[in-house]
Amino acid sequence: MTQEIVAPLDGKVFQLKINPGDKVEEDEEILVIEAMKMETPIFVPCDGVVREVNVKEGEEVAENDVLAIIDEKHIEV
Amino acid sequence: MKPYFEKMTEFGNALKKGRIKSTEENLNSIKKIEEDVADEVNRVKLAGFPEEKINARGQMTVWQRLEYLVDPGTWCPLHTLYNPMNNAEGTTNVIDGIGKISGKWSVIIGFDNKVMAGAWLPGQSENILRVTDLSKRLNIPLVWLVNCSGAKLTEQEKFYANRRGAGTPFFRHAELEQMGIPVLAGIYGTNPAGGGYQSISPTILFAHKDCNIAVGGVGIVSGMAPKGEFNLEAAEEIIEKAKQFRAKPPGSVNIHYDETGFFRYVFEDETGVLDGLKDYMKDMPAYHPKFFRVTKPKEPRFPIEDLYRLIPLNPKRVYDFDEVLARLVDSSEHMEFRPDYGPEVYAGLCKINGFLVACIGNRQQYLGRNYPEYADYPGMGGKLYRQGLIKMNEFVTLCGRDRIPVIWLQDSSGLDVGDSAEKAELLGLAQGLVYSIQQTDVPMMLLLLRKGTASAHYLMGGPTANRHNAFTLGTAASEIYVMHGETAAVATYSRRLVKEKEAGRPLKPIIEKMNKLAREYHEKSRPLFCAKNGLVDEILPLCDLRKYLVAFTGAAYQNPKSICPQHHMILPRIIKG
Repeated sequence: MTQEIVAPLDGKVFQLKINPGDKVEEDEEILVIEAMKMETPIFVPCDGVVREVNVKEGEEVAENDVLAIIDEKHIEV
Repeated sequence: MKPYFEKMTEFGNALKKGRIKSTEENLNSIKKIEEDVADEVNRVKLAGFPEEKINARGQMTVWQRLEYLVDPGTWCPLHTLYNPMNNAEGTTNVIDGIGKISGKWSVIIGFDNKVMAGAWLPGQSENILRVTDLSKRLNIPLVWLVNCSGAKLTEQEKFYANRRGAGTPFFRHAELEQMGIPVLAGIYGTNPAGGGYQSISPTILFAHKDCNIAVGGVGIVSGMAPKGEFNLEAAEEIIEKAKQFRAKPPGSVNIHYDETGFFRYVFEDETGVLDGLKDYMKDMPAYHPKFFRVTKPKEPRFPIEDLYRLIPLNPKRVYDFDEVLARLVDSSEHMEFRPDYGPEVYAGLCKINGFLVACIGNRQQYLGRNYPEYADYPGMGGKLYRQGLIKMNEFVTLCGRDRIPVIWLQDSSGLDVGDSAEKAELLGLAQGLVYSIQQTDVPMMLLLLRKGTASAHYLMGGPTANRHNAFTLGTAASEIYVMHGETAAVATYSRRLVKEKEAGRPLKPIIEKMNKLAREYHEKSRPLFCAKNGLVDEILPLCDLRKYLVAFTGAAYQNPKSICPQHHMILPRIIKG
């Protein structure tokens, strides 16, 4: 299963905290979008591994752009 | 009203491990500021003579008296760092707060007898007036620990006279008494002149055997006939009189207990005075909490320590207001008012220690492309728009009708601006909110979570609403200014930049001035600055916030001036629909 992380608003990538291959934990902050004088942090919805990062710091993004893709961690039984 | 209040809607979520990992730096940064504030509080506690020296004289310090007097675990200090006139002593020389005495909430204030034997200092009368206002707003007794040597005579011009000078508290005591609010006073030490009025103006006087109160003390009666200058003969005369009056100061217990009867009681021991106050407080009229509670008290479902990870220190960082509130209110439950309208404003009914309270706060997130509905730009939380203002006007008005105390939780960058905002009537709606608050005669308090900016700081229950706001609490993240420093620098210097550019002159000097102004704004909006200048009444560690909400709510419901029966309330019905 993969999870697409999409931009909730138009803005600029202010901070990028992940690279492909990084392990991430549920609700971890992975990047920050600057818009309307405010910084909106983006959190991952699940544990997993970063498969793709589609943006760079300083890049403009539009609402609903896919910022990153996370491979959701499999739960081993 | 069990169906409404016993079980309200749960809200909030437990923190996940990823969030905990991401917020470690924020937690440490907030705790560092809290440590700095604690160091300042400790400095105030250590002001003046050391405790041992006072104890060696057979006296307790004001801190020891407070500890003996106030029910354990209930003391909520206020104005600890207040020192608006920058006194060298580092204090206004009164220590005050809210606490329970014998189970009853009261406002408590005492002179710091370690510092110049409790003398009047600059800024002190303003501090006392905040305290008498608090007693008036909450309609609860005021308890004094008087120990006031009079005025610091070398600085009398800064506080003796004026509209809110050192004598004004005596009028406020009379005003409280007119309103039926008792002022009790435990009296220690030497209290001449102003100290005499501090002692005589309360309602019932509990005296220590060694105290005295007088129109004038040793200093005055030793030299009341000015001769134009001092010489050796005059000095000898002063020495003789001073010795005589020091041996037997005016207004001692044998005068004011035996002769005038001003002292209702005299006690042998210092603790006896405090026991007398406790005994009176036991019999003080107060509603039992069961009269107003809507359910049994319950703690929030999430730990209050989560606040260190939920409230970003960075003022530009967006966060989830609802998660913050869920760490403060009983069972993390609420009834939200108009959730589908004015999304930048949270308004809802919650419970604190089993009592119903109204909470109003600023939601921070992005509000989408279609809001505000009157503009062609999207909205961002923290700002106020038309719907949010209308919602607050309605909610506050209904709180007045239902007699529900209001807790404001402020973090706002101000109102939306521009012609579309003007056409949307924001100016009128904002002043309308001032009118709605003025109409709503219930106790209110403000918790300034982070930003208090522009008119939003006034509108959302700030201390400028001083007939309503009982007190304002700040946090390590709090900052207060008319606008952000960089915005102020642009507003101040933009025309000058244009002028210099057109004249072909270098811009660097203006840029330096702009940076200087922005830095000054930053420095003059920090928590310690706000506390020292009274922009907030206390800066609290985040983990103490609920304790103060409990104190405010308990005090607001102890002796309310009017009552709305729970089954007559309209606000819960409007929310339920």
